[in-house]
Amino acid sequence: MIKTDVIIIGGGATGCGIARDLALRGIPHCLVEKGHFAAGATGACHGLLHSGGRYAVTDPVAARECYEENLILRKIGKKCVEQTGGLFVRLPGDSKRFRELFLRGCENVGIPAEVISSTRALDLVPNLNPELEEAIRVPDCSIDPFRLCLLNIRTSEQCGGIILTRHKATEIIQSHGRCVGIKATDQTNGEIKEIQGKIIINATGAWADMVATLAGSEVPMSLVKGALVITNHRLTNMVINRLRHPSDGDIIVPNEAVCLAGTTALAIQDPDHLVIESPEVDTIISEAGRMIPHFNNTRIIRAFSGVRPLLKSKKADSHEMSRGFQIIDHENGMYSIAGGKLTTFRLMAEKMVDTIIASFGLRKPCETAEIPLDGQEELSGYPLSKRLADMKNIVCECELVTRQEVQRIVRQTGTRHVGDIQHRARLGMGPCQGGFCTFRALGIMNDMSVISPEQSMDMLRGFLQRRYKGIRYALWGDQLREEQLVEYIYLGILAMEKSK
Amino acid sequence: MSITEHDIVIIGAGVAGLTAGALLAERGFKVALVTKGEPTACLSTGCVDVCSHDGNPLQSIKNLPPEHPYHLVDKRMIRESLNYFQTAMTDMGVPYKGSPEQNRLIMSALGTFKTSCLVPSTMEAAPQDDQESLHIITFQGLKDFYPGYIVSRRNHTKFSVFDAGMTTTMSLASRFEEKDFFEKFIAWMGTLDIREDKIAFPAVLGLESADKIVGTIAKVTGKPVFEIPTIPPSMPGRRLFNALKGFFRKKGGDIYWSWPVTGIEKTGDIIEAVTTPSEGRPNSINGKAFILSSGSFVGGGLTATRQSIMENVFHFPVHVPGPRETWFDNDYFSMNHGIGRVGIVTDASLRPADTPFKNIFVCGGILAETEILKNGCGHGLALATAHLAAKSCVEYLVP
Repeated sequence: MIKTDVIIIGGGATGCGIARDLALRGIPHCLVEKGHFAAGATGACHGLLHSGGRYAVTDPVAARECYEENLILRKIGKKCVEQTGGLFVRLPGDSKRFRELFLRGCENVGIPAEVISSTRALDLVPNLNPELEEAIRVPDCSIDPFRLCLLNIRTSEQCGGIILTRHKATEIIQSHGRCVGIKATDQTNGEIKEIQGKIIINATGAWADMVATLAGSEVPMSLVKGALVITNHRLTNMVINRLRHPSDGDIIVPNEAVCLAGTTALAIQDPDHLVIESPEVDTIISEAGRMIPHFNNTRIIRAFSGVRPLLKSKKADSHEMSRGFQIIDHENGMYSIAGGKLTTFRLMAEKMVDTIIASFGLRKPCETAEIPLDGQEELSGYPLSKRLADMKNIVCECELVTRQEVQRIVRQTGTRHVGDIQHRARLGMGPCQGGFCTFRALGIMNDMSVISPEQSMDMLRGFLQRRYKGIRYALWGDQLREEQLVEYIYLGILAMEKSK
Repeated sequence: MSITEHDIVIIGAGVAGLTAGALLAERGFKVALVTKGEPTACLSTGCVDVCSHDGNPLQSIKNLPPEHPYHLVDKRMIRESLNYFQTAMTDMGVPYKGSPEQNRLIMSALGTFKTSCLVPSTMEAAPQDDQESLHIITFQGLKDFYPGYIVSRRNHTKFSVFDAGMTTTMSLASRFEEKDFFEKFIAWMGTLDIREDKIAFPAVLGLESADKIVGTIAKVTGKPVFEIPTIPPSMPGRRLFNALKGFFRKKGGDIYWSWPVTGIEKTGDIIEAVTTPSEGRPNSINGKAFILSSGSFVGGGLTATRQSIMENVFHFPVHVPGPRETWFDNDYFSMNHGIGRVGIVTDASLRPADTPFKNIFVCGGILAETEILKNGCGHGLALATAHLAAKSCVEYLVP
C-alpha cells in the first residue's frame, strides 16, 4: 500500500505539470497513468505553443492565457520549445473583416502582431503559396509534448513523487462520502495496488467523466476528435496558420525533422475508439496545401487523432467552443481539472495546486513559472554531429539513434517498453515509422536480458498494430511502398505469428 | 534518338523477368531486359515459396481462389519451371534444395518457422521442429540479427560472438569472400567447444561462395550448418538475383541497367518500342514482343495515389478491389488487405485485359489477385508465370 497526500490520475501535460508544481511546493504525491506519458491529447496534437493569436477573435480569455504561458514556457523550457515564430496567412478570398478583428483582438490581449507583405512572408517561408495577399507575424512556437511531460515528471521524481505509469485507476475508495484513495491496476500484469491519499485530482482529459464516475461524480464534457497528419520533412521553419475563423486543416507546425498539419473537429462518444476517415485526411492535405502548395505532393508518414477535452458548451461549432479550463470541486475530496490547452498546462497546474494548498491551509507560492525545467541539457545533449560520427552503430537510420543510446536509456530509466525509447530518442519517428529499428531496439533489449521473449514478441506485435493504426490512413505513394516492404519483413521474412 | 533492335524487350529484372529472358534467349531470340534498378528479389529471403497453405505446394495451389493467376499455368509447367530454376541455380553455383511436392521450413531471425519450398542449400539444414539444440554464431555489433530472440525461444540453444569489426550483413558477407579472413574465422571456430546438434548463422556467409563456405564450416566442425535470413539487405536474396542475372547473360541476353522506361511507341494494337531517358538523347528499344515484369508497389511497377492506382509503364488498367478505405484491413495481421489483390488482370496467355495490344505479356508480382504474402507464393508464382509468358511470346512470334 502507498500512502501519500495527493493522488493525481492522468499523465498528460496537466497531470505531469501538477506533479512538478506539488513537488516544488513540497507536497507528497503519487501520479497514476494508465498508459505512458502524453498518451492522450497531449501527445496527439500539433505540438504548437500558441501565441494566443488563434483565439484572439473567438476567445480572448484563452488568448491571454496562451500568450502569458507562451512567454513563460519559452523561458523555462528552452530545450522543449523551438522559437519558430508564426505567420497567419491571408489567401485570396479570405475575409478582410476577419483580418481587422484579428489585429484588434491581438492588440486588446497584448499579443505582438506585425503585418508583413507577401514578399516578406515568402522570404521567411519560401514554400508558402505565392498567391498569398499578406501575412501577420506572431510569436507562435513549436513544443515537444513528450519531452515536456518527461521533464515535469523528472522534478517530481527527484522530490520523491511516486510515478506509476501503465497503471489504470480502476476504483476510487470512499469512506463516509469522502475519497480516501484509489485502486490502480498494473496494466502489464494485472496486479492491483492500493494508494491512500487526502486529495484526488482527476486530470484525465477526455476520460475525466469516466474517472469521475468511479466516485459517483460527473464532469459534463463535449468530446471532439481532431485528426492530424505528419509529413516526412520540414516544409516550413515557421508555424503557419490560416487567417480566418478557426476551421479544418488551418495550422501547420514544424517539429524537429517533420511537420504536423491539422486539424478536424468531429464529435465522438468514446475516447478509446478513435477512427480517422479518409475524407478528414484529404481535407487536411488540401487545406494545408492551400497555404503550402507542396503539401499536396509531399509524403505523409502517418495520421493520428486526439480528443479535445472540452467542457460542455452551447456553441454548435466545436472549433469555437471555449478553450478555457475549469477546476471542478466534487466536494468529496476529489477535484477534476478539464478543458484548457497544452499551451496553458502550467497555468492549469498552478491553479489546481493553489486550490489544494488552500484546502490544506498552507500558503506556499507557485514557483513553476520561475524555475527552468530541470534536466533539459541531458535530454537534448545528443547533437547530430555526434550521432553521425558513429554511423556503424546507428540502429534507427531515419532519426540517427545508436545502439549505445538505446542501451543508455534502458539502463538509466529501467524502462522495459520500446515506446519509452521512442519518446526519449525519437527512435522510430521517421519515414519508416519504426519498421526496421523496432526489431533492433527490442533485439538489443532482448540481448541485454531485460525482457523475456514473450514480452518482446508481444511488444513487437503491439507496436506493429499501433504503428499500423497511424499509418493506415496515409497509405498511398511512397508510404504505401514502405508499408508493403515492412509488412513483408515482419510477416514474410521474420514469419511473425499472430498472437495465440 | 538512339535505337536498339531486339526481338523481345522485357521490363523489370526480378525473378520473373530474368527467368522469362533466359528462356527466350535460350531459344535463340535477341532479348533486351530494361530495368530501373535492383529488384525486390534482393530484399527477399532468397527462398522460393510456391504455395504455403499445406504440406504439398502443388496440391495447395488447387485450393487458391479461381481468379488466382496460378490457375492460368498448368501444373506440368509449374513443376517444369521449378525444375528449370533448380538446374539453372546449380549451374550458377547457388544450388537450391527441396522438391516441388513438399514444403519445408526455414528458421527466421525471430526463431519462428517460415514455410517455403525450394531453399538455398545454405538453409537446407534448418531444423524442422523444436527438438534439435542449436549453437548460434553471431557477430559483434551486427545490426540486423539478435540471437536473444532465438535463444529465449528454444531450449538448449547457445550463442557465440565473433568480432569481425563489421556491423552490416553486406560488409560481413564481403569479408567472408576474403581468404585470409575466412581462415582466421575458421581458426576461431576451432576454439569453440560446440556441443549442440546444429550450428546456425545469420545469412552473411559470403556473396557468391555461400554454398562452399557453409560446406567448409560443416566439414571443419562436423556439424550441420545453416543460415537464417535477415531483414534487408538480404544476402540470400542478393545471391539469388546475382545468379539469375548471370544465368540470363550466359544465355545471351542483354541488360540495360538503370534505364527507367518513361514512354512507349505504338502503332494500332502493336507496341513497337519503349523509350528511356539518357544523357543527351533518349534511347528507344525496339522489340517485336514485350514482357512486363516490373513488380508490384515495392518493385515500382505500380503506384498508388490518394485517388487511384496506376501501372507505371504502359498505363494499363489496374484491377483495384475498391476505394482507398478498402485497401487495408483494420487488423494488421489479418493478411486480408485488399491491396494484395491489386494488379493487372490478363487473358489465358497473360495478355493484359481491356487493352488492344497483342504483343505484350505480363508476369510476376504485378499480376492481380496474387495475395503473395497470404498465399506464400512470391518467387514460385514469378517462375511459373515467367514460363507461361515466354511460351506466349514464342507462340506470338512463331505462329
